[in-house]
Amino acid sequence: MSLDLIAAAILSRELYAILPFRRSNMPYANQPRVVVTELDDEVVKFIIENTSLSTANSLRRVFMAEVPTLAIDYVEFEQNTSVLHDEFLAHRLGMIPFTCDEVVDRLQYARDCDCDGFCERCSVKVTCSADCKDADTAQVTSQFMRTPEGSSVVPVSMKQRGNDEDYDNSNNDHILIVKLRKGQELKFKAFAKKGIGKEHAKWNPTCGVSFEYDPDNELRHTWYPKPEEWPQSEHTKLPRDEHQAPFNSMGVADRFFFSVETNGALSPENIILSGLAELKRKLTFAQSELMSVQNDVQNEALVIH
Amino acid sequence: MNAPPAFESHLLYPGEKKITMEKDTKVPNACIFTFNKEDHTLGNMIRAQLIKDPNVVFAGYKVPHPLENKFILRIQTTADYAPTEALNNAITDLLSELAFTEEQFREEFKDAKRKGVHGRQTGHRNEDEEM
Ligand SMILES: [Zn+2]
Repeated sequence: MSLDLIAAAILSRELYAILPFRRSNMPYANQPRVVVTELDDEVVKFIIENTSLSTANSLRRVFMAEVPTLAIDYVEFEQNTSVLHDEFLAHRLGMIPFTCDEVVDRLQYARDCDCDGFCERCSVKVTCSADCKDADTAQVTSQFMRTPEGSSVVPVSMKQRGNDEDYDNSNNDHILIVKLRKGQELKFKAFAKKGIGKEHAKWNPTCGVSFEYDPDNELRHTWYPKPEEWPQSEHTKLPRDEHQAPFNSMGVADRFFFSVETNGALSPENIILSGLAELKRKLTFAQSELMSVQNDVQNEALVIH
Repeated sequence: MNAPPAFESHLLYPGEKKITMEKDTKVPNACIFTFNKEDHTLGNMIRAQLIKDPNVVFAGYKVPHPLENKFILRIQTTADYAPTEALNNAITDLLSELAFTEEQFREEFKDAKRKGVHGRQTGHRNEDEEM
């Protein structure tokens, strides 16, 4: 080893000692920097720097497809004389987002629960009873859906905004399920279960997830026939009259602009934290399974010799 | 009617292994891993981490068919460094990266709520809960 290399090795070891999270046995792990630029009840916008395109994309995928939420998955109709048939309504009911920030982590997946059908450890009961006695058309909306008294699980249209106890949600945009004519009736019992977007899109907690990198196209991952026809990104660093940065042949995508909008089932923060937890869970499980693969190989080797 | 059950995309059947491994006998120090019930989310991320390791000669993944819920990862390493070891290190590195990211998010969320930085608003049901 040349002197230069030894010097470099010593220098890098010192650097590792200074940076608390970097360990010398992990020289290839990224240390991303996160900046949250906007946060409210519906949207979180943030920038992640110093990570790979693959990791950033995995985050995007996991927010949409693998963050667990609650959605109606089983409906028992007691009475349905509306114009929509049972299956049609059951599908519409499944689409209604329910607030589940406080319960989803505690609930079990119904398939893992030891109860026979539905219990409070794996599901939330939702009931609805509506009819129309007048000549005017009655609207059955998410407002008519009842969850157990005191439960924090309610249709998102019933959610109080912020911490305002006096918030009047009678003017909210409730989700229309079906309209009833005079003499028609709808009565059902349903169960909301825990699930993920990968199984059915009704469990997806996000409305819109935007993911952007290289706003001025200096990496040329895409090619515009006429760059001037494309609007500048909101993250651009170019002056108004320029449409594309010069090609940077040595550039690497390492700065990602995210915007995650919730459908109301979870707060934006909880989508992010739950997504990260889910990704870590997958990796941890893969690692433990890899260990058992290694052990199997070693055992096989012992048997043969 | 004959659609496969929706859970097939992410639940292992009884007895099914998450990872199986076979040696690639055509070249030295190469292995082919099959990850069952996983997709690009894990595949691409692990691949990207592997190619940062200078002792990994080759790392590539593919999803052989969109209706088969698995991906295949091929790793070739230099001598004295097993592909399983490379994979293990890559996963460890990714876990530390995600832990680091999570830490930063928690700090940023705490800050955003405390200060209500411009454009940031506060007000959540579980505001008092330590996140
Ligand atoms: Zn149960």
